Amino acid sequence: MEFILPLLLILPFVGAIITLFMGGERAKYAKFTALVFSVATLALAIVLMTMDYVTMGMSEVWIQTDFFVMNFALAVDGLSILMVFLTALLVTVVVIFSFEEGDRPNYYHTLLLLMELGLMGVYLSADYFLFYIMWEITLIPMYFMISWYGGPRRHYSAIKFFIYTHIASLVMLIGIFAMVFQAGIINGGIADFSFAAVAAASPMFAETFQVLVFGLLFFGFIVKMPVVPFHTWLPDAHVEAPTGGSVLLAGVMLKMGSYGILRVCIENFGYGAIQWQWVMIILGIVSMIYGAYACIAQKDLKKMVAYSSISHMGMVLIGIGVLSQTGVEFAIFQMFAHGLITAVLFMVCGLAGHNIGTREIPLLGGMAKMMPKWAFFMMFGFMASLGLPGLVGFVAEFGILYALWEFIANTEYMWMIVFGMISMMLTAGYYLWSMQRTLFGDLTDKIDFETGVHGGPVHDISKYEFLAMTIMILLIALFGIMPSLATDFIMPYAVGLI
Amino acid sequence: MFMEYAWLIPILPIACFVIVGLFGKKLHEGGGFVAIAGAAIACIFSVLVAYDFITNGVDGIFGAPFVTEMKWLVFPGSDFVINFGVYIDGLTCIMLIFSSFISTMIFVYSIGYMGDQGEKKPRYYGEVSLFLTGMLGLIVSSNFLQMFIFWEIMGLCSYLLIGFWSFDHPEAKQKSSAAKKAFLVTRAGDVCLMAGLFIVLYLFGSLDYANIFNAVAIEAIAATNPELLTVAGLLIFGGVIGKSAQFPLHDWLPDAMAGPTTVSALIHAATMVKAGVYLTARAMPLYVFNSVNGEAVLLFIGIIGGFTAIYAASMALNNFNIKKVLAYSTLSQLGYMILALGAGGFLMAHGYNTGEEHLVALGVLGYMAGIFHMLNHAFFKGLLFLCSGAVIHATGTEDMKQMGGLFSKLKVTAVTMLLGSLSIAGFPLFSGFWSKDLVLEAALHAGTHGMTGFTVLFVMGMITAFMTAFYMFRMWFMTFVGDYRGTEHVHHESKIMSAPLVVLSIFAVISGFVIFIGFGNLIADMLQESMGFFWIEIESGMDIAISIFTNIWTYVSIVLALSGIGIAYLMYMKKSVDPAKFNKNGESAYYKLLTKRYYFPELYDQISWKLGYGIARIVDAFDRNVIDGTVNGLSGAVIGGGDVVSQMETGHVRDYATFVIAGVVVLILVFAFIFIGGI
Amino acid sequence: MIPIELVLGFAALLFCTGLYGMMTTNKALVALMCVELMLNSANINFIAFAAYNVFADATIGNIFVLMSIAIAAAEVAVGLALILNVYKIKGTSSTDDLTTMRW
Repeated sequence: MEFILPLLLILPFVGAIITLFMGGERAKYAKFTALVFSVATLALAIVLMTMDYVTMGMSEVWIQTDFFVMNFALAVDGLSILMVFLTALLVTVVVIFSFEEGDRPNYYHTLLLLMELGLMGVYLSADYFLFYIMWEITLIPMYFMISWYGGPRRHYSAIKFFIYTHIASLVMLIGIFAMVFQAGIINGGIADFSFAAVAAASPMFAETFQVLVFGLLFFGFIVKMPVVPFHTWLPDAHVEAPTGGSVLLAGVMLKMGSYGILRVCIENFGYGAIQWQWVMIILGIVSMIYGAYACIAQKDLKKMVAYSSISHMGMVLIGIGVLSQTGVEFAIFQMFAHGLITAVLFMVCGLAGHNIGTREIPLLGGMAKMMPKWAFFMMFGFMASLGLPGLVGFVAEFGILYALWEFIANTEYMWMIVFGMISMMLTAGYYLWSMQRTLFGDLTDKIDFETGVHGGPVHDISKYEFLAMTIMILLIALFGIMPSLATDFIMPYAVGLI
Repeated sequence: MFMEYAWLIPILPIACFVIVGLFGKKLHEGGGFVAIAGAAIACIFSVLVAYDFITNGVDGIFGAPFVTEMKWLVFPGSDFVINFGVYIDGLTCIMLIFSSFISTMIFVYSIGYMGDQGEKKPRYYGEVSLFLTGMLGLIVSSNFLQMFIFWEIMGLCSYLLIGFWSFDHPEAKQKSSAAKKAFLVTRAGDVCLMAGLFIVLYLFGSLDYANIFNAVAIEAIAATNPELLTVAGLLIFGGVIGKSAQFPLHDWLPDAMAGPTTVSALIHAATMVKAGVYLTARAMPLYVFNSVNGEAVLLFIGIIGGFTAIYAASMALNNFNIKKVLAYSTLSQLGYMILALGAGGFLMAHGYNTGEEHLVALGVLGYMAGIFHMLNHAFFKGLLFLCSGAVIHATGTEDMKQMGGLFSKLKVTAVTMLLGSLSIAGFPLFSGFWSKDLVLEAALHAGTHGMTGFTVLFVMGMITAFMTAFYMFRMWFMTFVGDYRGTEHVHHESKIMSAPLVVLSIFAVISGFVIFIGFGNLIADMLQESMGFFWIEIESGMDIAISIFTNIWTYVSIVLALSGIGIAYLMYMKKSVDPAKFNKNGESAYYKLLTKRYYFPELYDQISWKLGYGIARIVDAFDRNVIDGTVNGLSGAVIGGGDVVSQMETGHVRDYATFVIAGVVVLILVFAFIFIGGI
Repeated sequence: MIPIELVLGFAALLFCTGLYGMMTTNKALVALMCVELMLNSANINFIAFAAYNVFADATIGNIFVLMSIAIAAAEVAVGLALILNVYKIKGTSSTDDLTTMRW
């Protein structure tokens, strides 16, 4: 069954090529093609989850010179399997959600599937060169997604997004080269880019080297996550991106950063990780609190959700930073949980812009009467995101904060757990306050409900959107009630890592 | 044989929630009868489970908890296992029965009370079913995390139900703000509780009650790590302060009156606020066996309870909103319960530390008084709220100034409410009388046998008893006697609303007598098994009654209650004493302080506004100007630098030639320097 | 024989003349002529080194000069054609005015 891993890359790629040429009259069929290919990928991913995926790695020499070897190597383990599933799931859900997209639908779906290719590649690759290529491939469709389908300031945002993350990945590339060639020297000559070769040499890395290269790679990854103070590309990109783009951006692209920290930094630099530990924890805490505070001040629903992503990804960094099995397990769980929840949040916010015509909180009010279904999904999403027990976010939050507590309980910094509590309060605060102002209270008189916005009067969500969000909230509840469904995948990895 | 299936109890209402949520619009009365059926079956099942527990014991041991668990989540690093399971002991049985029973009554009443809500009915019945799930799940939980999950589900439901009219309603804005306040203020307690759970998990390596409530384990930890154990106890009590609305997180409860009256009844009598008392009772071993600081923590608990009791009662004295008077009385009565648990726990801890067994027995009596008062309060407060709901339903207003003279029109309501008021005021032989006197007795014992602080609390409790009698009868007289002051036409009472009132009023009168049928032994057996180290000699019900009636303070409190009723009678029925004389026509400073609720709403507003929005604005400005400014500045610098450098490209061939030559000359010089210098 | 230093010095002088003209003039035609001067100074160096080289065959240097002259001729042809066309379009051949492609 070795063909499954490459097939996970090939299927979206083929789908992207087909939809690319479905221009003109045929554009309206592109969504069916995209649906077929994304569902097929999702099915494959689920099949993969039921199998003994750890043993299914493959590796072919791709480019070879006297000095280095680059491989086309793919592998899955406990860290990536959930991300692969999440990627396939979110692309499928986005295709369903955007079933009524009318603006150049074929290119839209091409970009979606290309993004799926890049994301799958990042999570599946077992070779640093392939990893880097795939990392960069994800940028391009996202750039076009924002600059073609985005809002009024889309060009600024798209360029900012591209340059920001590209600079970060160049720094990361330097780190990768340093690491791979150093490993090559240790391994005796040829620098092999595969994960396995570097991992074999990594215990021999000198201490200074570890600290330096950890820093380079870490910088590359935290910009992607993003972590305060390298986060400002995210709110801009989200505000301008189309809904589907936002869902993928927040749902799986941000996780590339934390995935990279675990996969590259923590796995290879044991000593470096310990040296950088407090930096990780403090940056995580700063992001968590700062993001939450920034949320309170936002007037744009989508921007608020974007900042909440920063806050939640800060939690992931804390979980990684404590360098314990519990921390890593729940950091990965939080990546997964946040992917599920944030998809709903961005769909809801996108619908506000699309169906009501504005996402500005001060203009809204009492919308629960006009759009009960939308209000339900919004409440569900917000409650899940603020960590309501019984839903998936709570388990992750509890686990990460406990891991933080376990780490600091033996130090004189015990009081730092207070930050976790403050962030929980703030999260509840901004979500409830924004709900109060958008859904409840008196029906707003600042919007004309009859003449409305693009596409006629203000209306509740359509059946495709309903379906997409229903799938997501069912999964949020399922993994919240039975978190071991997900942690069973993560646990072997977390136990093996630390 | 029923206990094995106790996990079905919370499943029943959640099944109703799902059914009502999905098909509510097509069901009769918006699914109301489904919700009633769910609650009623849960109630019957609870009784069966309790019967099974009480008559059979567990493995032949009476009082020992029945525990079944399954693995839910594993913390890999430390091999902690979080379970999901069922934990049944005496406390669980009591809580299960009264929660589900009162909820059933409230749901029945809702058919009448919410009958005119049309499309909103499915939402109402779905949410109340989920609410009941939260409470029942919390009660049967076998560990702290599971309890916390249901605890928060209740928080969510209270948010949804308090905000039931938060849109599509004339006062939507104020209602939604009350709901938000309720959620956020209780959330402040919840995060404390969560932090407390972290510490407990860290110290004990488990969150299961069965593992934690073990005297040996707690004492070992108290010996090595007393500070953390104390902090954990305080943080857990922080959760209680939020949920049971104790000072200083009490202010959400009066605002929570924004919801339908049935919801208030549910929150005050059957669920939500009782969860906090339940948690204090449940976590008692953590305090009692903390030999280092346990007594101080329990004194703190007692102080919070005693202070809340008198503090909240004072605000009920001059309020004109019928529901708010009841809300303050709930706060006050919750304070009694917490006081009793604090005093009882203190006596147990003190007795245990000094080895005086009779103090332990007195402590158990106090602990029992807290739970006993919770049970009685559930009946009479549920009754009082439903009565007030009937009054509001009939008159269309909550303002007592618009009522009066309703006795002739609302006979059933008036009589049942009178019974409830007598009960809460502590009129002899009514249910409130028994438990309130036991509560005060516990405080008195704690005062005489150890900590004089409790004596002060006892005096405060006495004053509260007087105030309670006064404001309850002020409310009753203002509502039912005199002339009708409102303008709206008064509707007649409906049977479906009156029936639950009658049922509840019977319980409100007689529930105090459970003390004669082994209530005390149930609690004592439970404590003995879960604390597991001493044989507790509890007095029989008759002995307790005798001790009550031979105690001089009992008569003092009866006199105080009667005088409270009497003053209310003089002021509001005979009108021979003018209340305006005391409050200078509402101008006195204290009167104003009371109507402003001691400025607590402002305090909350200021805190959330300054610490929340204020800092948020600063962060936002920082984000826009400094961080994003730096980023944009950097990109500007790159563009500007490019502009400057491009100025060197003059376009003149001769300048380029000059640059080339200059470059060659520099290179030659450099190479010359290197080679000559190198050699 | 003339000492090689004199020949090389002459070539250097010629180069500097060309360079000076190149750096100071604003006339395209003059600049072209100056380029030719510098090229020729290089050619003289080739010939000089070829002639004074006692170790190797002198033909390589001479051939290189021939090639260089041929290229210089081609270059002048292209350069003149450009200048003529620029003059036709712009009405001037002054390099000061020909700056449209700078930024």
